[in-house]
Amino acid sequence: MEESEDVPKDFIKLKSEKLSVDEVSELVVSPYCGAVSLFIGTTRNNFEGKKVIHLEYEAYTSMAETEIKKICRDVRQKWPSVKHIALHHRLGVVPITEASVIIAVSSPHRAESLEAVTYCINTLKASVPIWKKEIYEDEYSWKENKECFWANSEK
Amino acid sequence: QVSVLYFARSAELAGLRCETLSVPREITSLQLWEEIVKVHPRLAVIRDQVVFAVRQEYVLLGDQLLVLQPGDEVAIIPPISGG
Repeated sequence: MEESEDVPKDFIKLKSEKLSVDEVSELVVSPYCGAVSLFIGTTRNNFEGKKVIHLEYEAYTSMAETEIKKICRDVRQKWPSVKHIALHHRLGVVPITEASVIIAVSSPHRAESLEAVTYCINTLKASVPIWKKEIYEDEYSWKENKECFWANSEK
Repeated sequence: QVSVLYFARSAELAGLRCETLSVPREITSLQLWEEIVKVHPRLAVIRDQVVFAVRQEYVLLGDQLLVLQPGDEVAIIPPISGG
């Protein structure tokens, strides 16, 4: 009975409400795991000398969830001892210093969860259809992740 | 008849987020782009920076032949910036 209650789970959520580190880390805690690793992406208040007022995120929601599920599947292939994965991303307006994304991974020992969290955020930036708009005082800018292979970046 | 979804900069340039378009059942991804630009010429400026998602799989603009079914979702995907 204990074992079936601790089946590895993926907790994926895209939501417009404020994200909670407590909530996300509690989702992945497990009596079989000695490690929970966490990444929090927060909003900086400046970009190239311009003051950032806030960020706005939009998503191709159904495909974003599918791509995040693929990331979780890949994590479990690469790090089979990973237990639970939680990935919450905020949509809509995100004020400065608040979290845009929180990723938590649990595993029996720390190496796997630390590596898995890194993989999750890097792969999210390269493959999940979510877009960020930085709002400055008198203009705005759609950001482009350097991980995105179809962005023009330095061409 | 496919559903075309516009996001981020492409939604701003097209002036809408979603519409139904009639396109040939078999068409290359580049030809599909050109059909869409006929309807929304302002999209031409982002041609080098977008990919499609056809039935939620990424497709580059090029010679890839798409076989479309009625009601398929085709999304215009500008450079992403999640996280």
